This record gives sequence, C-alpha cells and structure tokens, in this order.
Amino acid sequence: MVVALLPIAGSAADGRTTAEACWKEGIAAYEEGDYARAVESFERVVELGESSADLYYNLAGAYFKLGQQYTLGVSRPFAGGELGRAVLNYHRALRLNPALEDARYNLDIAVDHTNDTEAVPDSFIATVWLALRDMMTSNGWTIVSLVALALTLVLALLYLLAERMVLRKVGFFVALTMAIIFICATALALSGRRAVVEDERAVVVCNDTTPVHASPDSASKIIRRPSQGVTVTLLRDRGDWSEVLFLDGEKGWIRTSHVEKI
Amino acid sequence: MKVLFRFMLVLVALTSSWVAWGQVSFTVDAPALTALGQPFRVEFTVDAEPERNSFKAPEFEGFEVLAGPSVSTGHSIQFINGRQSSTYNCTYTFVLLPSESGTFTIGSASIKVDGKSYRTKSMPIEVIAENGGGSGAQQPTEQSPENRINKEDIVLKLLVSDKEVYKGESIRAWLMLYTRVNIDNIESLDMPSFDGFWSQELTFDNTPSREQLNGRVYEAYKIKELLLSPQQSGRITIPEATMSVLAQVVVEDKRHFDPIFGGRQIYHVARELRTPPIVIDVKDFPAGAPASFNGAVGSFTLQSRMPSSELESNSADQIEITISGSGNLKFITAPRLVLPDSFEKYDTKVVDNVKLAASGTSGSITYTYPFVARSAGTFRIEPVMFSYFDPATGKYHTLSTEPMTITVTDDGTAAAAPMAGGYAGYGGTMRQLDRDIRYIHTDKLPRRAAAMMVLTPIYWLVVVAIVALFVVAYVLLRKRIRDNRNVVARRMKRADKVAVQRLRMARRSMEEGKRHTFYEEMLRAMWGYISDKFNIPVSNLTKETIREVLYRRGVSAEVAEQFCEIISRSEEAQYAPSAEGDMGEVYAFAAEVISKIEDVVKR
Repeated sequence: MVVALLPIAGSAADGRTTAEACWKEGIAAYEEGDYARAVESFERVVELGESSADLYYNLAGAYFKLGQQYTLGVSRPFAGGELGRAVLNYHRALRLNPALEDARYNLDIAVDHTNDTEAVPDSFIATVWLALRDMMTSNGWTIVSLVALALTLVLALLYLLAERMVLRKVGFFVALTMAIIFICATALALSGRRAVVEDERAVVVCNDTTPVHASPDSASKIIRRPSQGVTVTLLRDRGDWSEVLFLDGEKGWIRTSHVEKI
Repeated sequence: MKVLFRFMLVLVALTSSWVAWGQVSFTVDAPALTALGQPFRVEFTVDAEPERNSFKAPEFEGFEVLAGPSVSTGHSIQFINGRQSSTYNCTYTFVLLPSESGTFTIGSASIKVDGKSYRTKSMPIEVIAENGGGSGAQQPTEQSPENRINKEDIVLKLLVSDKEVYKGESIRAWLMLYTRVNIDNIESLDMPSFDGFWSQELTFDNTPSREQLNGRVYEAYKIKELLLSPQQSGRITIPEATMSVLAQVVVEDKRHFDPIFGGRQIYHVARELRTPPIVIDVKDFPAGAPASFNGAVGSFTLQSRMPSSELESNSADQIEITISGSGNLKFITAPRLVLPDSFEKYDTKVVDNVKLAASGTSGSITYTYPFVARSAGTFRIEPVMFSYFDPATGKYHTLSTEPMTITVTDDGTAAAAPMAGGYAGYGGTMRQLDRDIRYIHTDKLPRRAAAMMVLTPIYWLVVVAIVALFVVAYVLLRKRIRDNRNVVARRMKRADKVAVQRLRMARRSMEEGKRHTFYEEMLRAMWGYISDKFNIPVSNLTKETIREVLYRRGVSAEVAEQFCEIISRSEEAQYAPSAEGDMGEVYAFAAEVISKIEDVVKR
C-alpha cells in the first residue's frame, strides 16, 4: 500500500517543484518586460494544477501588459484578445480571494478598457453586505463563525457560573454579541460559498468584438457586439452556441468558443 | 455712312492692336507615333492673323503629302460685362502618309504676324511597321461584324509603377485601355479588390494618347489611377480587373449602297476585357528599427515650436511638432512626448495638410501637445523622437527636437492645484489620467487555495464538537450553577434579616451591660450586612470598598460616611475600657443608617 502510494506522492512533489520554477520564471520574465514569456510561464503553473489568487492575479497582469505592448501603426492594443483573458483571470483571482484589493483595482482598470458597464448592487444594504462578504474568503468567515460560536458558549458558561455580578453581566452581553456575530458570519460564509459554487458568469474572450445573435444561428439578427472582457452570465450551453445574459438584462446567443467561464 | 466707316476703322485698329499686345503662339500638333501605311494629320495653328502668304511649310521628309495645306480660320469677338475680348486662329492642315518606318522629324514651319516671324518647334514622329497588317475593322472583308474586331484590337492593362516595394511605401497603379477601333461606351468596370493595400484614387489627365504596344499603334486612354500603399509584407496578388465595352464597327456595305448616305453600316460589338493578375512583392522593414519607429515610410523633416522656457504654475502652453515630407503621412501616429509628472497633459491635436499626388502623399502634419504646468520647479523636457524608414536608401532615420528646460515659477496657488494623476476634464468628459495596473505579486508560489469549508462534514463536526463541549461543561457544572444561583439569591434576600438578627443580639448584650460583646456584635452585623447584601466576601471588605460599593449602588456619600463612622466608633469602643459612648445611641444610629441604605438599594 505504502509502496503503491509513493510514486504518486513523488510526482506530486515534482509537480510542485516544477510549478515553483515556472512561477519564478514568470516573475523574472515580467520584470524584464517579456510579457509573452510571463504569460506562458504562469499558464504552465495553472496547467500544473496550482490555483491561487496571486497566481491568477499575476497571469492577468501579464496578459494585460502583453496586450498593451502593441506596435503603434502595426497592430492595435489587445489585438490577441489579451484584455478578455486579463478580465477573466482577475475575476478568477477575486473568486479565490475576494479580499485581494490589488486585483479589484486592476480589474476596474481592465474593465475601463472594454465597452462593458459595471454591475451596481441594488440597494445600500446590498452594497454593505457585498462589501462585508468580500472582506474575507468564505473560509475566513467560516472560521470567524466557529470562533464566535465557541466564544458564545464559553461566555454563556461564565454568565451561569460567575459569582460576581459584574462578571455575570459581562458574560451575558458579550455572549449575546458573539451569538449575533456567529449568525452573521455563518450567513456571510454561506453567501460567499454561493457566489463561488453557483457562479455562472463568463467573460467574452475573442480578438476584437464578437456578434451576439438573437438565436443560435449565424444567419439570425445580430443584436449587439460586445468587446473582449465583457462579463456575462451563462444561461444555456448548446454545443457551438451559448445563451448569455448581459448586465443590462439583454439575452442573446454567442459562440461558445468566444466565452470562457470564470 | 461716313460715321459708320470711321467706327469700323477704329474697330479694326483696336482689334489689330489688341492682337499685337497679346502673346502670339504658333504650334504644331501631330501624333508622336504612327504606323506605316496609316495617313495622319499635321496641324499648324497660329492664334493671330498672319500676314498673307507668309506661311512656310517645312519639308516632310519620309512622308508623302496626301493633301494640304488646307487653311481654316476662325474669329470671334466677345463682349462680357462691357469688356471686349477677341480670339483669332488660323490652322494649316496637312494629311501625310508615312512612306517608310523609322523616326522622322517634321521641321519647323514659319509664319509672320505683324511683321514678326514665328517658328514652330520641330517635332519627331516615330513610324513603325506593324506586324500582322492593319486592324480588322479596316479590312473590308465579308466577315460578320463580330469577327472584324480581333482580340488584339482592344487591350486592357493594369500597370504599376513598381513591383517590389517596402511595406508602407506607395506605388502608383493605373488602368489603361488600348484600342485600335472606336469605343462607343464603357458598359461596366470592375476594379480589382486591392486587399492588403490602402488605396486612394488620383485625379489624372485623361487626354488620350497614341502608344505603341507589341509593334502596333493604339489609342491609349487612362481609365483610372490609384495610389496603393501595402499594409502587410509578403507577396500580394492584385486580382484581375474586368471591363465590358461596346466597340463600333463600320462596314462599307456595297449591296445596300444608298446614293445619299452611302453604304456604311455601323455595328456595335460588346467585348469583355480582363487584365492579368499582378503580384507585388512587399518587403518587410529591415531589422534594427529604432525604438521611436512606428511605421512611417518616406522622407520627412521635423520642425518644432517649443513653449517659452519660463512659465507660471497653473498656466497652459503647448509644444508643436510638424512632420513634413512625402510618404505614408496618413499612417503616422503622434510621436511620443514625455512630460514631467507635474505637467497635466491633454489630448494631442492633429492638423494635417496632406495632398495626394502620383508620387505619393506629401504635405505636413502638425501635432499640438497642450499641457498645464501644475507645480513650480525646473523641469527638463525630453526631446521628441520621430523615426522613419527611407525606402530609397533602405535605412532608418531618426529626427528629434532639441531638449529644453522649463522653469515654472510659483503663482501662489500651487498647493490647491490638482496634481497629475487626478481627474482632468477635457471635451466634456472626465477621464482619469495615468492609471495603470498594479505590479504583480513576487512572493513565493502561494499554497493552493483551500476548498470551501462551510457545510462540509468537517465543518459540521467542529460545530457539533463545540456544542457538545458546552453541553458536557454545563452538565458537569449544573449543580454548582444551581447552588450558585440559590446562594446568591438567598444571601441577597436575607441580608437585611441577618443584619436585624445581629443587631438584636447586640441589643441583648447592651441590655446585659456587656460592652465588649455589644460592639463585637455591632461590627459583625455591619460587615456581614454589606457582605451579604452586595455578595462580597468579608475578607475583601475595607471601609474604602464599603464607601465605593455604596456609592456605586446610589447611596449618598453622607450615609456611607455615617455607616463607616459607626464602624469606626464600634472599633474604638470595643477596646477602650472606659468608653464614654452611649451604646443605645450607637445602636439606634446603626439601625437608622441600615434602613436608609435599604431604602436606596431596594429601589
């Protein structure tokens, strides 16, 4: 049994070493300004099964810089669809760590280069709730909720056991606060989990603009032409064509190869 | 009658003097190219009235004069808005037939106008012997009109000025129609798609000329002229151009000879013409392009108008750069201008003055870079570099402006001014300047992102474990909790009662006259009361804590002080053998203070 497991463990360790080498190479290439090689290296790290917010953040940055490194008069910025890839990877980084402020800032800049509009929460409460949720990962909120639960119960014991009035009072109110924190943190953790597990968003990745048709048929009417980097919600996938929902509520069919799920 | 005659004299005098003032031109007009056996016309034209018999024709060596000179004159006088103008011309026409092939020169003819002699320039005429005989249209054979036009009689050609160019260099392409028959009408023309080129139509002189093609003489018409600029390197094929024409065929018909109109029948024959495809070899730029090269091809010069070297802060100025020359001016992008950070840059204004000509686009483009200097200091303005590729020499050239320093003096409001990187309003839109993505994270490769914990079995296990620990703790400590709760409640309730009991015992001692015991009981009653009432162990009690506790429970400082005074007096009296104090007084006072405290605390 142990003998059978060893080779697997060995290859996994090798994969990690290779990934670390590629990661370093990617950073070195980025520092030299060789963004094409940086993209290649970071993509290789992703292929090796690594996934972390920083990795996707760096990959997105390399794509963005590569797209900006066009030759004036010879090619356009983001001619190879780099903007779409950058937006996609910033979204992926934020999904793994919603508290990665750098990624949020850069995503904002990248979205500025597209013809997309930003999603705005409906109400003040929703804004506050989303801001709270994105302060930490779902796991972060889970840990907070468990610690709050433990503290609630410990302070409840203090309230029950303490002989001095002061301690009893402190125990009671702090336990109550902790219970409220526990409920909120659990809800935030669940909300964060839902945002990841039920995430049906996708980013348009194509060289320039891609037509969105009224029906899954290239002869049908073109209802809009989103540029690369526009974020949509996937509704249906029917092989070559996917039905997508835009932020403004418009629905249409787009070539499946022109969108990539976050 | 006399008057009329005089008027005419004046008119004639005016006319002749008018002519004498103007420049007299005396020209010859003949085709530069002709075929052996084809008669042609030579015309000598003078635009003034020549002296009689002053025209002397040259020798027509190598030609046979079939007719001429025939003279035709024309005279017109115009009055426009009271101004008189008159034109006069006189043409001497010869019809010549070339007698042998070769190049012959028609010598100069001379003429006299008002006593002055004028000569035409001599003119060379090339005579060629055509192979394959004359055109079908001129051979009166019994063929159908369709067959009277040979394929070679109408030729369409697309010509290019160069077949090997650099990317961005422009070449001229023109479509020529060569014909030996009359063309009635051009029915349609499909120009090829110039994929891979940026094409612009040129205006051109469309007077027909005579040209030699494959040893034959044709009337040549220019149909279209374009300027092409390849946008990609490699071999680019220009596909065929097609044109359909209606040619006119005149047939002398002897059978239906009409005595008045003759027997000429005119037929229209439709013909499809095609040009062969042309391959242009587009070379890419050679290696070693300077950093400031962005695709400019041609030959350019650079002029700049720099701002004044002293500015007040928050004042605007501009740098003007003009690129002039010939080449792909339309494709030039503004040279990059690097300004210090505290300079607020605005959108570059571009004014172009580009003309299209057969030799390529030429003219100038002026870029204006407006800016506002925000903060005071001395700043260096880096030179603006512009590089272009000269296809004639195959080399890159870089032009640059002179570097300069600008001294910005403080206008006193520098602190309030927004710095670069803030928002700059321009053209009604708000844009944020100088925003770029943040740098990548260069730490070690982070660990793989953990899976979601919430709602997993481990999560539930931890929740259950925490709750279970609490339950166990609760069960274990339940008895103590209950006891604790009871002791506390009882003590609080009984505090008053206990105090009353103790006071009663003290009273008994007082009645028995036991001083020492009385004070002892008094002290125990006082301390015990506070201890029970406020759930504080007696060992922790001092007079200070009593004051503090009473104060916190809202008992007035005066009452607290009285309480402490009783304790003090009792302590003193306990060990003083000859105490003066009245036991009854102390007892009554203590009962009163306790009842006061009870009043406050109960409420």
